[in-house]
Amino acid sequence: MATLLSSSSSSSLVSSTNLSPPSLPSLSLSSLSLSSLSPSSISLSHRSLSSSSRKHSLSSFTVKAVASEKKKVLIVNTNSGGHAVIGFYFAKELLDSGHHVTVLTVGDEGSDKMKKPPFTRFSEIVEGGGKTVWGDVGAIGSVLEGLTFDVVLDNNGKDLDTVRPVADWAKSTGVGQFLFISSAGIYKSTDEPPHVEGDTVKADAGHVAVEKYISEVFGNWASFRPQYMIGSGNNKDCEEWFFDRIVRGRPVPIPGSGMQLTNISHVKDLSSMLTKAVENPTAASGNIFNCVSDRAVTLDGMAKLCAKAAGLPVEIVHYDPKSIGSDAKKAFPFRNMHFYAEPRAAKDLLGWKSTTNLPEDLKERFEEYVKIGRDKKAIKFDIDDKILESLKVPAAV
Amino acid sequence: MAGGVAAVQHNFKSYPSVSILPSSQSTFCGTKFITSIQYKRKVCQPKGALTVMASSSKKILVMGGTRFIGIFLSRLLVEEGHQVTLFTRGKAPVTQPLPGEADEAYNAFKSKILHLKGDRKDYDFVRTSLAAEGFDVVYDINGREAEEVEPILDALPNLEQYIYCSSAGVYLKSDLLPHREVDAVDPKSRHKGKLETEALLESKGVNYTSIRPVYIYGPLNYNPVEEWFFHRLKAGRPIPIPNSGLQVTQLGHVKDLAQAFIKVLGNAKASKQVYNISGDRYVTFDGLARACAKAGGFPVPEIIHYNPKEFDFGKKKAFPFRDQHFFASVEKAKEELGIVPEYGLVEGLTDSYNLDFGRGTFRKEADFSTDDIILGKSLVLS
Repeated sequence: MATLLSSSSSSSLVSSTNLSPPSLPSLSLSSLSLSSLSPSSISLSHRSLSSSSRKHSLSSFTVKAVASEKKKVLIVNTNSGGHAVIGFYFAKELLDSGHHVTVLTVGDEGSDKMKKPPFTRFSEIVEGGGKTVWGDVGAIGSVLEGLTFDVVLDNNGKDLDTVRPVADWAKSTGVGQFLFISSAGIYKSTDEPPHVEGDTVKADAGHVAVEKYISEVFGNWASFRPQYMIGSGNNKDCEEWFFDRIVRGRPVPIPGSGMQLTNISHVKDLSSMLTKAVENPTAASGNIFNCVSDRAVTLDGMAKLCAKAAGLPVEIVHYDPKSIGSDAKKAFPFRNMHFYAEPRAAKDLLGWKSTTNLPEDLKERFEEYVKIGRDKKAIKFDIDDKILESLKVPAAV
Repeated sequence: MAGGVAAVQHNFKSYPSVSILPSSQSTFCGTKFITSIQYKRKVCQPKGALTVMASSSKKILVMGGTRFIGIFLSRLLVEEGHQVTLFTRGKAPVTQPLPGEADEAYNAFKSKILHLKGDRKDYDFVRTSLAAEGFDVVYDINGREAEEVEPILDALPNLEQYIYCSSAGVYLKSDLLPHREVDAVDPKSRHKGKLETEALLESKGVNYTSIRPVYIYGPLNYNPVEEWFFHRLKAGRPIPIPNSGLQVTQLGHVKDLAQAFIKVLGNAKASKQVYNISGDRYVTFDGLARACAKAGGFPVPEIIHYNPKEFDFGKKKAFPFRDQHFFASVEKAKEELGIVPEYGLVEGLTDSYNLDFGRGTFRKEADFSTDDIILGKSLVLS
């Protein structure tokens, strides 16, 4: 069975991990114990692995002894969009587990983009013992001059042009493990959901070229394909889109039947999966992981769950997106089709478990929504009004 | 076979007690079925597990077993070397050859299977006949109500395992899918008898395992699942599908289900557990129409969507599936017992087509009356 490596070097890390934000638990290294199930990141046990025991052991669990080594991790983070929050949670989770973290955010520290979450909370990374720097990926060598890392996560590029400089630099500086945030959007649509790792992807997708490249360049690589996320610090609206309408007593216009299934995960599910990969590099190596929770929700269902979390009624209105022409894309924040992947590889290979609980998570999200005063914010609903007009539905009292 | 009256028929005199029958040919002729089940099971064994599964011959009672699931299950059980008795009223033939099955294989099976003729709702008869025989294991394939189980348990106090065919229909409708074994169940569902049976088994402290299939398909299916599509495809008719056709459902091949039932036999890990068993991918209604077409070598079908609320079909069902998302995760069985379905959807439907509908056999005659109502109205509207 695995034995805990005595890593005297790790004791020096204890002091750097004493601060954690409310949403993540803190870990003191001295309390690490290796049970047959737990990885060294078991600080998260209160929400994941403790209850249901895995009845059989996979060889990946014996790798955990090796994985309790602390890593130097570089996160190359996008400066906007839905994926920005992934790097934020991942950084904090790694710091909690005692790893060394540097976050390189693309662009300028002074840019307007940094005035939005999660960047407004980057001090939490620093307080947790991490480093935050800014720069362009084209100049990554000079931005990170003299620094070496064990692991690099590219949470920025969507195509080879943007990722190649990072990958090449990482390779040249001896990075052992290269991780990439790809997208579940690259799966070809199917009659037989869910999207499972290994299914056909769209050959011309930028992310596909990246996955191919890193698989050729690195001995140890993994790609993570996320969908939609909720969580404090999110850069892009998700549940807020529903709350905006529900709180103002406006109908929620959903394209098509509302039966479309999608996967909306709490970002903690993504950061925990990434952390598992860092701490179990052998098990993760050479694999694609759908980086999502393990439940799907319908679009109508999401509206209903948001309303329930808010303690308010909801009126859902369906419309044909073709009837509003080019506005259709901006009208609704989710794809108008089944978009449903399952995290089977992570469960099978990493022993990862999902902790997303949408009904509960949305309650927390709604509390924050109100706390920051967004329910009182003046918002324009031009496209909604267009849709309702075409359906002859009254907008609100 | 001569029909006995309320007596166990012994179709042969002596029975090898332990050895597994050496039949090496494929039992379920056609495709997947090989009796190297032993090998498969070992491969699926989690590391370090020492479970010796079903290696000793057991005296097994199957409630039902002559219509669909049981036909496949009983063959596997006989092949594993167990003494198998089917309890049925005898309405369906006790044994029937599987489509394409070699005479030799069928006769071998037929010579070993036992029949206990009776009505399971005659609780006194159930009690006395079962107590007289004594069985190690009961497979309850056709039980619907909890009260049907009591006399069986009463008659068999030393029962090793009660394996029950329940249904994923017990799950409470939810916006969050797939259904998992831990999810809320619906005490008011059409399948509440199954739920009550599970509850009874739990409360009695007996070693039970409950299997919850979703939609079952495969050769000899008496529920018009794939058959419904095949009739229309053969007739070159459009396929009328209610609402968006995006509803997601799930089909599980009967042979995979039979294998799952074998896998839980004598398996300590399965004690007092419930498992969803079905295919490991789901499918939209529209997708199922296309899959059936592929399976039967038909051209891509024309699909007509309609709003069922606009029609009155009387007592007839216009579509064989519940008009909602309905699918369950089969992960628990995979993780805990190594149960992995063999058949993909198109592959499985092809098996069903080749062994059943494609040979000209089906259970229900084609009835396109509801289709014509739908199509008639569509024509009128356009």
